[in-house]
Amino acid sequence: MSHPKSSCVIDARYLEPPEPFVLTMEALDTLPAGEKLLLLLFREPHPLYRVLKQNGYVHDTELVADGTFEILIWRP
Amino acid sequence: MQRLLSFDRAPPLAAPLRFFLTAPLFAALAGILMLAAGPGVLASRWMPAALAATHLITVGFMLQIMTGALIQILPVVAGASLARPLLVARLVHGGLSTGALLLAGAFIFGSGPALVVAAALLASTAVVFVLAAGHALWGVPSTSPTIRGLKLALLGLLGVVLLGGTLALSLAKGWGLNLPRLADLHAGWGLGAWAGVLLVAMAYVVVPMFQLTPAYPARLSWWVPPAVGVPLLVWTGAAVMGSEGVIRLAQAGIALVGMGFATFTLRLQRQRRRARADPTFRYWQGGLWNILAALAMLLFAALRPDLSEWRGWTPLFGILFGLGGFMSLITGMLYKIVPFLAWLHLSNAGQGRISAPSVNKILPEKPLLWQMRAHFGAVALLTAAVLWPEGLVWPAGAAFAVANGWLAVNLFAAARLYRRRMQEITATQES
Repeated sequence: MSHPKSSCVIDARYLEPPEPFVLTMEALDTLPAGEKLLLLLFREPHPLYRVLKQNGYVHDTELVADGTFEILIWRP
Repeated sequence: MQRLLSFDRAPPLAAPLRFFLTAPLFAALAGILMLAAGPGVLASRWMPAALAATHLITVGFMLQIMTGALIQILPVVAGASLARPLLVARLVHGGLSTGALLLAGAFIFGSGPALVVAAALLASTAVVFVLAAGHALWGVPSTSPTIRGLKLALLGLLGVVLLGGTLALSLAKGWGLNLPRLADLHAGWGLGAWAGVLLVAMAYVVVPMFQLTPAYPARLSWWVPPAVGVPLLVWTGAAVMGSEGVIRLAQAGIALVGMGFATFTLRLQRQRRRARADPTFRYWQGGLWNILAALAMLLFAALRPDLSEWRGWTPLFGILFGLGGFMSLITGMLYKIVPFLAWLHLSNAGQGRISAPSVNKILPEKPLLWQMRAHFGAVALLTAAVLWPEGLVWPAGAAFAVANGWLAVNLFAAARLYRRRMQEITATQES
């Protein structure tokens, strides 16, 4: 799946917890340096934010019209 | 990379679980009270037994579960952690449990001093909770409609407490206030600004997450909580000014917003990705239809005030909205939250070496479905009992007590399994 914000996209909108978390962690493990990961979710994943911070990642979140939170994740 | 979900700031399961396990007992007690009081309990909302049963359900069941769930869920949905979750849980659980029983007793025995003590205890407990949750949310930006809704709901709870305290003092001291108008406003703040807004804010997260539906659109999500709050403020102002017409207009506005939200949620449910309807889905579906029916009553009564003069209007509205609506939605959520939390804590304790039982094993579906049928059966019997109290109040009260006793049995079974597995994990790690 491709998206204007990133070519590396995890669409976790219809997945039950903890699958979105597990998929995101796995994708980050293999994310090439300098790339950004886009996570699509119907809620703000605050527990994930904490783990990202602990592991040196930053994120930028946008709530779009259909209720999707677009969470762009990268290592600065 | 850290593989398991982050628990560094998650409260222990003991914090919310105490609320979830005792809440059904208060509702069961309300059912037993209906049995003891007989048809009179449905005769008027001012009957002592009716007031006692109402508060056993709203404070003993609803407020308990809502505060308990918030202690657990604030870090997850808002990134806001309570500083001392277990201490807050102990204080709030103790205060609400004792306060609910004392309040019910004060109504039944007509004791003014007990009423004042109960109101003071409940008010101070609610303030402790609002301070703890408010402190956690302080400085958290409202980046999602859920966070903004939670903040508004906490303000709503303060309003409920203020109005409830005024009512208790007014009843105990014989102040010359307009009690029916004040009681309506207290109920409006309790069911609208607190419970309603909280439910809406939580629905944004839990409906798509647990029922695999599309999301609520962003614009609608931002607007629903203030669209409940603003008419309530208008209602409050009109109550002070004594303007009956404006009160009715505000009530009609709240009814329309609530009906719109319930209809939209039912539509989302129809678009779900999971084919099977589990107990949570059905509890929500039934609950939303009950809410629609109750709010239709409110809308018609706002347009035709003589309708609400019928003796059965308030009991029927309360049964449909509170028991058929809120209790159903809350129980539906509990049936997801309890096994999920147990699984999460067991997975974490097992550290990937000892696997946790699946959520379906922690809380098997079959007893939940039967408990749900008992609950909706009890609501149907209570609804019919409003029309024929002399014949149906006893079977309805008994059915309601049984349904809630059953809920307690289901939740205790999950808690027992959790404790057993946790002991096994500890024993394995020590050996």
